[in-house]
Amino acid sequence: MVEVKKVDTEVQLQFKVPETDYNSILEGENVVIETLHLNFYYTPEVHALKAITIKIPEKKVTAFIGPSGCGKSTLLRTFNRMNDLIPGAYLTGKVLIEGQDIYSNNIRLEELRKKVGMVFQKSNPFPMSIWENVAFGPKVNGITDKSLLDEMVESALKQADLWKEVKDRLHQSALDLSGGQQQRLCIARTLANKPDIILMDEPASALDPISTGKIEETIEELKQNYTIVIVTHNMQQAARISDYTAFMMLGELIEYDKTKTIFTNPKVKLTEDYITGRFG
Amino acid sequence: MKPKRSLSTDISSFRLRTYRRDRRARWIITLAGYGIILSIVLIFVYLVKESLPLSFGASVQKWFGWGLPRDENVLLTGVDSYQEVVYVLTAGGKIKFFRMRDKALIQQDSLPLFPGEHLLSASKGSLQQEWFAVGTDSGRILTALIRFIPHYTDTGRVILPQTSLEETFFADPGQAAGHVERLVFRRNEEGQRFWLWETHTGELFLRHSDTEFEEVYRVSIPRPWGEHTLTALTMSYSGEHIAFGTSGGEVYWFRYADGEVVLQDRFQESEMPVSALSYLIGDNALVVGDTDGRVSVWFPVYGPSQIYKMQPIHRFRSHPAAVEQIYPSPRNRNFLTIDTRGNAHLNYSTTGRTQLEFQPASNRIQAAAIAPKANGIVVVDAQHRIGHFLLDNPHPEITLKTLLGKVWYEGYPRPAFVWQSTGGSDAFEPKFSLVPLIFGTFKGTLYAMVFSVPLALLAAIYVSQFAPYWLSRLVKPTVEIMAALPSVVIGFLGGLYFAPLFEQHLTAILIFLIMLPGVFLIFILGWRQVPESHRLRIPIGWELWFTIPVALLAISLSLTLAPYIEQGFFGGDLKQWIYMTLGMTYDTRNSIVVGFALGFAVIPIIFTVAEDALSNVPDSLTSASLALGASRWQTVRRVVLPAAAGGIFAAVMLGFGRAVGETMIVLMATGNTPIIDLSPFNGFRTMSACIAVEIPEAPVGGTLYRVLFLTALLLFTFTFIINTLSSVVGERLRKKYARF
Repeated sequence: MVEVKKVDTEVQLQFKVPETDYNSILEGENVVIETLHLNFYYTPEVHALKAITIKIPEKKVTAFIGPSGCGKSTLLRTFNRMNDLIPGAYLTGKVLIEGQDIYSNNIRLEELRKKVGMVFQKSNPFPMSIWENVAFGPKVNGITDKSLLDEMVESALKQADLWKEVKDRLHQSALDLSGGQQQRLCIARTLANKPDIILMDEPASALDPISTGKIEETIEELKQNYTIVIVTHNMQQAARISDYTAFMMLGELIEYDKTKTIFTNPKVKLTEDYITGRFG
Repeated sequence: MKPKRSLSTDISSFRLRTYRRDRRARWIITLAGYGIILSIVLIFVYLVKESLPLSFGASVQKWFGWGLPRDENVLLTGVDSYQEVVYVLTAGGKIKFFRMRDKALIQQDSLPLFPGEHLLSASKGSLQQEWFAVGTDSGRILTALIRFIPHYTDTGRVILPQTSLEETFFADPGQAAGHVERLVFRRNEEGQRFWLWETHTGELFLRHSDTEFEEVYRVSIPRPWGEHTLTALTMSYSGEHIAFGTSGGEVYWFRYADGEVVLQDRFQESEMPVSALSYLIGDNALVVGDTDGRVSVWFPVYGPSQIYKMQPIHRFRSHPAAVEQIYPSPRNRNFLTIDTRGNAHLNYSTTGRTQLEFQPASNRIQAAAIAPKANGIVVVDAQHRIGHFLLDNPHPEITLKTLLGKVWYEGYPRPAFVWQSTGGSDAFEPKFSLVPLIFGTFKGTLYAMVFSVPLALLAAIYVSQFAPYWLSRLVKPTVEIMAALPSVVIGFLGGLYFAPLFEQHLTAILIFLIMLPGVFLIFILGWRQVPESHRLRIPIGWELWFTIPVALLAISLSLTLAPYIEQGFFGGDLKQWIYMTLGMTYDTRNSIVVGFALGFAVIPIIFTVAEDALSNVPDSLTSASLALGASRWQTVRRVVLPAAAGGIFAAVMLGFGRAVGETMIVLMATGNTPIIDLSPFNGFRTMSACIAVEIPEAPVGGTLYRVLFLTALLLFTFTFIINTLSSVVGERLRKKYARF
């Protein structure tokens, strides 16, 4: 479990950036995820997130971009407390989901993770059948009715745009699917849990362009019903699919804005340099 | 411009050196690998080679034969233990000694007979020494002893025979001219002498002289067989049992003690007259031969009616003609049966097997003898030819049935699986059933696995999946140190410290086994009543500290309650209750103690391998499961355990293999009793411990030695199969999850 330290030390920020005006950027949006002055330490020396304050709107796609090691994946993982598994890590500050501090003691981890689903960079289907993979979440959350599970599996696979390809071999091993199919299976597996928020950690980085395109189409459809936070290395992808973009660097949030604004008219020079490929 | 370099020819000396070094390393590694395989194969071959002679049967080889002067009939023959000198006793009372090497008559002694007196009957008195007695046609009985005394000269060993007349008496002092028609003489190990004879009038007498007390008994024996006639008689070599065979096929068994002859039992193999009777070494088994050529062995068996009854134990291959003579082996339970047509069968009583069938002579055989070391046979036929046969029969007591089947041993009420390789006397019947050893091995392994598998696997799951980093970093090396503990130390502690302690606190420990999970369950149920916000405040890993007081509570509760429970439910003494109610005896070194001690040795192996397997389950799988809202336990049960199944299986099988082969612990903590009993309160003997205990005392090349090698071969095969199975199945299961 990640220890939450109450005492907050003074954090020295490296970059001077103007304060983000969330009220105007997120006007008319409903904020579901919010962090307040979030610091994350892998060890006392490795300070991975520095005083991050960010707001993420409901039923929109928010992309985190930035060079390797900037802390975008770490930030993503604080939203469903996947960082809990790292021995010795701790954080200060707050992460609120729908206004509730998820690091407080009365949070049930299983409920949180059911609500905040996650798709990983490398597809990681279980060594079971396709059906078992998708039904895993509902099963561990206590659903045993076979016909209900069948329904959930079908609907999740349809949402992930995989149903047509696998409907005849639901009981074959998931490991026989192609890389792109496996990743969409992982998305379906997450969807079967009926989450509100889906975190995607570079979901297409290991895939070929055609598979990537399919994933992006899926994301496009999903945002009607889900809040999606995606970490990506691929700026074009961020530009194509996201509504809002956060640019991070060395553990700090540099700029946050509507995607269109970030890619056309960034306020910070660093953002512009990164987007235009001067470093990265 | 740089000169163009060819890839194939222009190799720098550095490259060349690297290449050579690589090749050398590859050679050495390959050689070492093949060396290991070769040495395993050689061990296997050696074990097979040492145990294979057990399956070779008996063989007999005619050494040579020669004719005797055809003067008188031969009554007895015998040979010295080196098979260098053979003697024959003729009806004229002459004892002729021949040197085997050159067939020369080297000595001739004469019994002091009256002029015109002839021998009618003769009998050897002992299986160990050449005692014999003869009965004459003038009613005398003469008793003599032949000794073969080795002398060592410059040219080698010379055997010098010596005959001494020990005792002469009239069979019936009142009636000087009676014939001694049949005679049985025995001289037992205490020096007592027994003569049993039938006179020409058909009367039976027994004379018993006790040298120590200088008492002489003379008993007239009743003849309860009515109109049938006496056809065979014999006496056991201890002088305690007498058997008579009649023309009606009946055998009467009497017991003799201190001047009294008492009829014990009467039995019948067939309607045909009994033509030969003989006791075997050990004086339990009675061989009965009839005129139809049937041969059977009978033992007295203690029956339900509280008395000994003779029971037919084995029937041997029949002779084509009447069985005339039976010669027991002086070494083992072999006996030679000879029929009237000169056919000889070599039988073995324990196995019930006729080992050899051969024809030493084409006509009647007058006398025969088995050499003192049971490695030769001498026969004298009706045409006065002596035949000397070399007998090669090193392991007559071993057949597949005696190794793996139930065998009816002498003195046992029914056939049984028994391992008892050595006994107090030469007359001991060795019992080589491997079943108790195999049973013991798997019993020990079973108890060890019952104790160690749950503990080791649960510990591995806890350490790899639940324990905080600092704790697992502490536990893993500690458990590995357990593996480094010499098994002799564990065995020593188990057998000499823990076993008495266990016996002393038996009730408390048995209560504790139930109490511990019970107390934990109650504690956990209570813990769940604590508000969640309080519960979640306990950091991961700290739950360990809670287990200590809970375990201490369980221990103290068990110790406190033990006397009351023992008093209340078990009549004050649990061991007594176990014996009275469950019918189980309690041994200090019992299966539970071994289960703990052996389990202690097995735990580190299972733990280490299983922990590795569990830790090697890819994080991506665990993460995926957790991210789907599965709890840690759900993740372990649904994802981690199936994915690590191969490794866990391999871990358990490795532990199993270790327990099967473990020697020192079972040697010291089991009591080594080779019994077949599932009771947890008595001991057992494993194959490995049996080898360790007995091989130092087994004569090289002997039956025990070879049987122990066979046991080793069996053990090797078991562990080989188990280990192969563990890696094959483990590999297959691992392959299923290998795509991560």
